[in-house]
Amino acid sequence: MGREAVSAPPNALVTGASAGLGRAFAERLAADGFAVTGIDRDAPGADPPFDHVRCDLADPGAVDALVGELAARGPFNWVVLNAGISATGPFEMIPPGAHARLLAINTEAPIVLTAGLAAAGALAPGARLVFVSSLSHFTGYPGAASYGASKDALAVYAKSIRAPFKKAYGVSVSVACPGPLRTDHAARHAPEGADAEKRMPPYEAARRILAGAQRGKAMITPGAGATVFAFIGGLAPGPVTSVMKRIIYDKLDRSVF
Amino acid sequence: MAAARRRIVITGGTSGIGLALVRRLAGRHDILVAGRRDDADALPVLPEGVRYVHAPLTDPEAATRAIAEALLKAGWVKLDNLILNAGTGFAVEGGTETAAQVRDTLAVNLTASVLLARALFPWLDKAAGTLTLVGSVAHTGQGLFPAYAASKAGLHGLARALRAEWAGRVAVQIVHPGPTRTEMHQKAGHDPGRLRTIFIPADSMAVMLEGAIAARRSPVTLSFGRYWTGGAAWGGKL
Ligand SMILES: NC(=O)c1ccc[n+]([C@@H]2O[C@H](COP(=O)([O-])OP(=O)(O)OC[C@H]3O[C@@H](n4cnc5c(N)ncnc54)[C@H](OP(=O)(O)O)[C@@H]3O)[C@@H](O)[C@H]2O)c1
Repeated sequence: MGREAVSAPPNALVTGASAGLGRAFAERLAADGFAVTGIDRDAPGADPPFDHVRCDLADPGAVDALVGELAARGPFNWVVLNAGISATGPFEMIPPGAHARLLAINTEAPIVLTAGLAAAGALAPGARLVFVSSLSHFTGYPGAASYGASKDALAVYAKSIRAPFKKAYGVSVSVACPGPLRTDHAARHAPEGADAEKRMPPYEAARRILAGAQRGKAMITPGAGATVFAFIGGLAPGPVTSVMKRIIYDKLDRSVF
Repeated sequence: MAAARRRIVITGGTSGIGLALVRRLAGRHDILVAGRRDDADALPVLPEGVRYVHAPLTDPEAATRAIAEALLKAGWVKLDNLILNAGTGFAVEGGTETAAQVRDTLAVNLTASVLLARALFPWLDKAAGTLTLVGSVAHTGQGLFPAYAASKAGLHGLARALRAEWAGRVAVQIVHPGPTRTEMHQKAGHDPGRLRTIFIPADSMAVMLEGAIAARRSPVTLSFGRYWTGGAAWGGKL
């Protein structure tokens, strides 16, 4: 074996790789020479820069099977846990199944995948692990209460495993809190009239997040706007949440889940 | 003048902080406890007159149905307080939980709280009631039980959003207890050793928790700072 094993490109894993920010992560990592495995429920379209593995991350059985399959493909040098869905509207108007599905995809699946890959020895020493949370982590998110909760949980999971994973596996863990992005996901959930031009293109966010993770940063807020917002939100989460309520919740013209 | 009798649902009222709170409130208020134990194991520990419903939160959807049915059966059309106190977690090496540990922790602590808050909103709304989420000081991160810390951070975020969404209708609060002398650590597979002796007694935590619920503020941390400055001596009453 020797030669081939040494010259084979290092592996990267991206969840939610078929569209938006996930697609941008996958393209960037592929351009940097990684063999990218992309997880998504949806097909990636023509000529994806990654090897597509289909999985519905809301299905616990499918996630367990995925851990086994990925362990056989590893070890991974990059793992980007990006897949996520939203549910916007007054909390009590969103069906219980939609809340449960969101928590399964946004919180449970990335945690089960991470712990499973770690236990299976599928994280290469020196690997970078990136969890995609949300800028709402610094404020609260009226109008997307379960989404905000799911992303807060993910951010604190990442924070919790940072020290033990460094020690046990030699892996560096980062959490990214991007603000509004110019993706279909954001367009679907934004209030009517929200200005798409103000949102960051996903390729720029992916580039900044990967660079931050490469440097070993614990928390990455891509872009000056996100960094300032995180700072103010950290100082005064209550008032900022009230402002969020006025600019998002009070303007919601529809529920989307 | 005695305070009006309130209708209160408490999850996880069969041991620890929840049971201590049930003991304080029973007699003064009408209480329905929801827990994972069979009636035969739950009723003997509960004070006389307290209602009980078997509703294991590892299955959040089924538990939510069971609790809603118990409310209808009791003839309660309004709810003054919903106290989501049940909690579980697992202490692990190297920050690495099993899939089953992750799923149980998130289901009981986070998903069940989301579904119960949603399902019981109409009851709380009619009474202009209070939803209390019991978090933990671990909500900012804890390497010994990462999924538990994550679930409590989720509750913190849920409370922030719902408090804004339901303002003027239902008060929503998150209360973060500090280390408390209950069986939880042992159930989680963690031995705090001699440290346990300085943990806050469950009865004292229940006094501080009742005070925090009566005050309806959020977020509130109930830890050593408050305890050592007499927080358990002058708590307000529901
Ligand atoms: N003790 C601490 O140091 C501490 C610190 C911060 C926060 N907290 C939080 O405070 C709350 C109460 O904890 P505690 O210390 O009183 O712990 P505890 O003594 O273990 O009580 C937890 C309660 O939750 C119930 N429960 C556990 N799993 C359940 C399930 N699947 N379905 C329904 N009920 C379930 C338990 O039932 P059983 O009686 O049958 O076991 C018990 O009644 C928890 O949310 C905990 O996270 C505790």
